[in-house]
Amino acid sequence: MTETPKQRVWGRWVVLAAFLVGVYLFYVAKIPVIMPEVLLPAEEVFHLGGFPITNTLIALFFVDLIVFGIAFGVSRAVASGKQILGGISGAVEALIEMIYGMTEGTAGKWAKTIFPWFATIMLLVLVANWMEMIPGIETVGLIHTSEHGEFATQQIGPFLGIVKAEGEGGHALIPYVRVVSSDLNFTLAIAIVVVVMIQYYGIKSQGAAYFSKFWNVKTVFTKPIFGVIDFGVGLLEIVSEFSKVLSFAFRLFGNIFAGSVLLFVIGSLVPVFAQSIFYLLEFFVGAIQAFVFGLLATTFMAQATQGHGGEHHEEAHA
Amino acid sequence: MEAAAAKLIGAGLAMIGAIGAGAGIGIVASGAVQAMGRNPDATGTIQTNMILGIAFAEAVAIYCLVVALLILFVF
Amino acid sequence: MEALGINPGFLLVQIVNLIIAYVVVAKWIVGPILGMLEKRRETIAQGLEDARVAAEARASAEKEAEKIIAEAQAKASAVVRESTERAESAARDIKAAADATAAKAAEKKLAEVEEERGRILGDLRGQVAALAISATQKLVGESLDEKRQHALLDEFFSGVKAGKVVVMEAASVSGASAEVTSALPLTPAEQESVKKDVLAKSGAAAVAFRVDPTILGGLVIKVGDKVLDGSVAGKLEGLRSNLR
Repeated sequence: MTETPKQRVWGRWVVLAAFLVGVYLFYVAKIPVIMPEVLLPAEEVFHLGGFPITNTLIALFFVDLIVFGIAFGVSRAVASGKQILGGISGAVEALIEMIYGMTEGTAGKWAKTIFPWFATIMLLVLVANWMEMIPGIETVGLIHTSEHGEFATQQIGPFLGIVKAEGEGGHALIPYVRVVSSDLNFTLAIAIVVVVMIQYYGIKSQGAAYFSKFWNVKTVFTKPIFGVIDFGVGLLEIVSEFSKVLSFAFRLFGNIFAGSVLLFVIGSLVPVFAQSIFYLLEFFVGAIQAFVFGLLATTFMAQATQGHGGEHHEEAHA
Repeated sequence: MEAAAAKLIGAGLAMIGAIGAGAGIGIVASGAVQAMGRNPDATGTIQTNMILGIAFAEAVAIYCLVVALLILFVF
Repeated sequence: MEALGINPGFLLVQIVNLIIAYVVVAKWIVGPILGMLEKRRETIAQGLEDARVAAEARASAEKEAEKIIAEAQAKASAVVRESTERAESAARDIKAAADATAAKAAEKKLAEVEEERGRILGDLRGQVAALAISATQKLVGESLDEKRQHALLDEFFSGVKAGKVVVMEAASVSGASAEVTSALPLTPAEQESVKKDVLAKSGAAAVAFRVDPTILGGLVIKVGDKVLDGSVAGKLEGLRSNLR
């Protein structure tokens, strides 16, 4: 709020200067622009005591650093007894308050139990997604020599860059840091934990009755045809639990991975300014995906606690 | 090289399935916006349910994406 | 799986990391913030409750104050009314006393004046009679019987002839009170005969005597709402209107 008009004007000049520098570099000095190699798995950067460290693990380290830092800051700020939190703690508090209201709406009395998952997933994925915004991530890295590398190297000023190979390639870029959400291990880990916790909360709230959702023999003998259909639907629920893992994992992965590929493509087509617009889009997508992941996890957990039997009867007969 | 070309074509074809998801998400969002316009008080609930509906519609597109990725990188 | 980058080792690392993050977030972010929200909600509820209590207290205090003010006003107006009444009655008493005193003094004065006037006019009558007789003697040239002359004069002034009131001879009047006006004061004997005659004729209870020199002579007798004009002035007036 203390931002003066002067500062904003200053910011505009910076934007203009960056724009002009970009125009000079790419259109006057003719720095070659390439589309980086798109690789699904995370690349290995170095080994630490025999264990390979990938660039997404490095990103995860930074994400954890930020999240733990926020957590530490918030706990300190709350412990200081202030009524109003300022800065990042205040923003986190506002976020937590908002999503807690939503959790209360869906989960009712289980809100307090389920909510930490929502908060954890939201914060972790949000920080991970927004890391994509930082320049240098996924573009600065080791130039690696391999037989299936497609690029040649070229000295650009003080830096060694990679350019499109004319005949012989043999070089590839391994970024030091790659957004952790574009690593399937990360998204799959969250998805698996969430689905396991869904089953856990289901059993905790309903006991053995929770399994009747999957092995529905209550109506098989009492109702001629619909009983069998109910039983089949129950078996399908098992499949749906696995598809939950898949859709959770690939939704986040697909959005973020596609986002980074989109940025690559746009950057290679129009090197100046055009990417900024898509950065805005990615900023939005990153926030939405983090929110959707958390909200879906909360909703599924809440549904598991509320019991399914009755609803499925009605659906089956409808 | 023919196998590689076929892979690329197959991946592209697999993503055709995203059409349905796109249309579905559009319908969901349209309905939600109309509902919010008619009953602004229920915006919170509608938004939550809209995101849920979009997520389910999107799941189909995600399966397409999975298939495309599998074709591109696995086979 | 390997082509998609899924690796059991990394997966395990990520799961462990997520669980650590869960513990950290639950303990350091969610716990404190939810606690704070709860506290804030309680504070707000407490504040609202306090405000409600304060508002109630103020309302009752206002009512109390209103009651007290109303009582005070009633008392004040009663005091004012009472004092006003007292002052008025005191003023009335004082005024009545003053009036009474003034009336008494005025009456006394009037009576004195009346008496003095009666005395002076009585003196005058004797002189007027002597003057009239001597003037007549000179004019007529011969002396009438002095006694007869006095009788004529007396008759002129008193309107009483042979013990009877002249104006009452033919008239028949009746009333509760009678007033007799003469040009000069009547002698007690005349008064007595007039009174007796008037009382007998009109049936009035009392007779009052007045003196008014403008009627020149004779008597004007007012009984009830009837006036019998036996005065010389009245006769002259009648004569004047006849001659015209």
